[in-house]
Parts: sequence; structure tokens; C-alpha cells
Amino acid sequence: MAELLHKVLIANRGEIAVRVIRACRELDIATVVVYSQADADSMAVRLADEAVCIGPAKSSQSYLLIDRILSVAALCDVSAIHPGYGFLSENAYFAEACRKHGIIFIGPSPEAMRALGDKAMARATMKKAGVPITPGGDGIIADEKEAVRLARSLKYPVIIKAVAGGGGRGMRIVHNDASLLAAYHAAKTEAESAFGNGDLYMEKFLVNPRHIEVQILADNYGNVIHLGERDCSVQRRNQKLLEESPSPSLPAKLREKIGAAAVKAAKAAGYTSAGTIEFLCDSSDNFYFMEMNTRIQVEHPVSEAVTGIDLVKEQLRIAAGEKLLYRQKDVVINGHAIECRINAEDPERNFAPSPGRITQFIPAGGPGVRMDTHVYSGYTMPPYYDSLIGKMIVHGSNRAEALAICRRALDEVVVEGVKTSLPFLKKVIANKHFSGGKYDTGFVERLMQELANPTKKEENK
Amino acid sequence: MQMDEIKAIVKMMREYSLTEFKIEADGCNLSISRSAGTPAAPAQVVLPAAAVQPAPVAVPAAAPAPAAEAAPAKERETIESPLVGTFYRSASPEAKPFVSVGDKVDPDTVVGIIEAMKVMNEIKAEKRGEIREILVENGAPVEYGQPLFVIA
Repeated sequence: MAELLHKVLIANRGEIAVRVIRACRELDIATVVVYSQADADSMAVRLADEAVCIGPAKSSQSYLLIDRILSVAALCDVSAIHPGYGFLSENAYFAEACRKHGIIFIGPSPEAMRALGDKAMARATMKKAGVPITPGGDGIIADEKEAVRLARSLKYPVIIKAVAGGGGRGMRIVHNDASLLAAYHAAKTEAESAFGNGDLYMEKFLVNPRHIEVQILADNYGNVIHLGERDCSVQRRNQKLLEESPSPSLPAKLREKIGAAAVKAAKAAGYTSAGTIEFLCDSSDNFYFMEMNTRIQVEHPVSEAVTGIDLVKEQLRIAAGEKLLYRQKDVVINGHAIECRINAEDPERNFAPSPGRITQFIPAGGPGVRMDTHVYSGYTMPPYYDSLIGKMIVHGSNRAEALAICRRALDEVVVEGVKTSLPFLKKVIANKHFSGGKYDTGFVERLMQELANPTKKEENK
Repeated sequence: MQMDEIKAIVKMMREYSLTEFKIEADGCNLSISRSAGTPAAPAQVVLPAAAVQPAPVAVPAAAPAPAAEAAPAKERETIESPLVGTFYRSASPEAKPFVSVGDKVDPDTVVGIIEAMKVMNEIKAEKRGEIREILVENGAPVEYGQPLFVIA
């Protein structure tokens, strides 16, 4: 494989750039990282074999500039580009440009990306493949009349979403006829300006569902496997704070069904490389396809922990044209893993970003603890990008042990100089609903309200 | 120099992670040094005993360091690359270089070409002055922000 992928360009930054560099080094693949001037002192720049500055701090003038990245790829004679997550990782035009320049894009084909990036088209594909989808309209809402008709047939509450959107943006929840048309027009305008496409679709809005996603791997030969599910219901404003695998609230039979549905979905979309299918589960254990993420995700280490499979190395192998090493029966879920995202945010001020110089950083360690981070003592968190300091992933032989390790490890981590979400994470782990495994996407909101208005009855041990 | 001013300086030093500060102003000589991570200890505030000194030389504080690079004020003025690509000194292999050492340039003078993705981009000086030094070889790869020429 080293012959086909002799050198990889990492078109990303922060902890994921370090993650990809690590996998490449272990496979004897040379690495080039592109960086903005704000990242000159970053760990990725230090670890990569070559590093090339491509612009000033702003992403739009650096990490998002396709021509500059391809320029570096040509100058450094790379065989492949790993886009990480965010930035250009789900940009079909970028994947296309790589292909045109004879550079392997480590991810799915531009065609699969486009098909799944269009949310209405993705729903239609899944419906045709027999994957359950959230009850909703077929295709784009044609006009106001149809919006009303759809809402009435689905029954409130409904959610209006942008076809070209995703990741929680460009949506409006509607509870009644009175607010429907205003929401419809507001969503349209917002979608138009944010995504350049005002097309909308409508789904039944599930109140406080659980967010269960399935990790899949697919090679270029039609082989697709799943690596179990991750429960990502601990979210604040559609941003994940913590993920775990297996999901504590998923009955075993449902686990099989969801895994099989995810594989079916990936095959229906002609998907290759690593990807994640997101499902919503309602209180009656019905699950529905929500969307597919056509990239490696932040929380991928959770699945790596319980399966022992290195997802980034598998992406590199798949990109090099190798067949999947594993068949579905080779995938065994072992023990329980929990990931905590440590962000440079101030929970006391509504999680406002807290960039600045980290004067001291001490990671947690010991058995069962993995820390994926790019941060070090003296490192300055730049204000131009995301606030992720690092991820702490714990793995125990069962959920109780994983929780104990998590509690212990969270107390060890030291981050001084910036505010972090660590205190809030500790409260989540200590919460009896969370430790009892009974929570949904409304959990964080309820916890925050409880913390703001403590009552005598609530004993959060 | 008032206590408030000294406090403001200490705060600024902490904010920008400066380790040393010296100023001569208002007939006083102030020198502060701190090690990173500990609060600054103002030291050696020397007030001249008698007559007012002639207008003191104000030593400017070290420029607040930008997040990534704690660099002192630039010693020399340079023209930097606005692109990533291959740098050429002339329009074609046979042509004369756009500029040589000693040439005077103004903001619109083309000083070189950077080829990126098969597109030739003319690079303008964006500054006025005289070329003192050429820092990059013809045909060498350059990154964004890389100094190409020293200009005076």
C-alpha cells in the first residue's frame, strides 16, 4: 500500500490532523500538512514530514482554498488527500477537483457525496431501499399550500429543513398552523443565504428523540460493514458533548436492525470509505434515518475503542484500493466506551468560546484512557476555528467501569489559562439519569435548567 | 509614572505573555520582568533625585505578540508571497528577470511570477523601495507569507 499512497496531504488542522498524521506514520506513509499562519505553532505542523503555509488565519483564506491546497499537493507530489472533518471534507466539488488532478480523495466519491448531501434526495434513496425514514413529505415543498397540506397530514409538531443544509442548520420547528407560514418563509430565506439553495422539505418532529448513529466502513468492491452504534444524545443546541458505545438504551434486537439498516443505506448510496448513518429513535423504539455524514467524525474513537479497528488506517487502506480486512462477523463489540469532548468554552457564560493561551495542560492517563488532542502547555487556542481542546475516550469492560474511569480521568485533566467545558462534563457524568443510562436529546437542556434552579428533591449524586 | 499606569502595564504584560518591559518616560526609569505563569513583580522603579531630565528616549514596549508567533519588530522590510506555488524571477526562461538587486520598485511593479495549478500569477511589490536582496531561487516552491525579497 505504501507504493500507492506514498505521501498523503492532510487538509485540516487541530486534533484530527494529528490523528491522520499518526495513522500515516504507522503505515510508513509520508505526510504533508497545510496550515494557516495562525497554526504555525500547531502540533500537526511539528509532526508532519512537510508543512506548507497556505494563507492567513481566516479559514476562507486558507483551509477552504481548494486551489491552494491542490497547489501544495502538486508541489509536494502527494498521492492522496485526507480532508479530516469539517472544512472541505464534504465538499463534492473538492473531491471532484482531486479526482481531476489525479489525486486520491480519502473519502467517498463526489457522486455519493452529492447524493447524500442533498437531504431530500437522501431521504428518497433511503425510502426506496427500505430504510425507515422520519415520516415526512416526499421531496421539496412546492409552495405554501403544500406546506399547509403536509403539516396537517403529518400532524404537529413538524420540522422544516433546508435540502442543502445539514448538521443542525437551516431548520424551523413548527407547533401549529398559526406559525407555519412564517416559519416556512424564514427557513427559505435563511437556507437561501446560508446554502445558496432555498429548497425545503418537511418531516414529523420527534420530541426529544435519542440520537443513535452507526459507523460504517465500505471498500471500493461493494463490501460494507458496520461497527456498532454510538449514542450521541448528550447534545447542547445540536452540538454533541459526549458520545458512548454501545447505546445504554438500545434493546439488542433493535441493535441488529439498526446495524443492518445502516449497511443497507450505505449500499443504496454507493458509499465508500468511512461514514456514519444518523438515526433518531423515539420513545417507542421506532428508529428513522435522519442523515448520513460522509466523512470521518469527531467521535470515531468511540467505535475504535469497542471494536479495536483503526478507522483512519482503514480509510487509508480503502483509498489505496484494498479490500476490507474485516467481514461483519469479525466485528465484535467489546466492553463499553465513552468520549468526552473538552471544549474551550465557559459553561458559566452560556458556553461562550474561550480562546487564549493554555498555560498548563496535563492530560489524563492510565489504563482505559485515550486522549486525542493537539494541545500542549503554552499553546494558544486561536479564535478562528472550533473550540475543541481535545477528546478524552475511556474504555471499560462494561458501562459501570467506563463511568468509573471517566469520573476518575475527568478529575485528572488540567487545563489552565482558558475556560473549559470540564466542569459541565463532570456534572453530566455525576447525574443519575445519565449514569442510569436513561437520557435523550432533551437531557442537557433539562440538566442545565436543574443546575440553574436547584430543588430540594433533585439529589444529583 | 502613576501606580495606575504601572498596573495597566503589568496587566498588558500578562495578557500578551511578555516577559520583559522597560520604559523611560516622565523622568522615570521603569523595568519589569516576569517569568511566564507567575504574576509580574514590578521592580526597580528609579526616580531621578533632582532636576528633570531632558526629554527621555521612550523605549517602546515590545509589540504585542500575535497569537502564533512571538516575533520582535521586523528588522527588515520584505515582500512576501501571497500564494502557494513555484516562484519564477522572469516571465519565461529566456526573458530578463523582472527585478534585480538595486532596482527601485513601486506598489505596481511586477517582481516575479508564482505558478500555481498551471496558472501564472504576476506578483506585485505592493510596496515602494529598493530591492536589497533576493531570498528565493528561480523555480523554488514557496508558501503563503514566505519572504521573497528584502526591500528598503
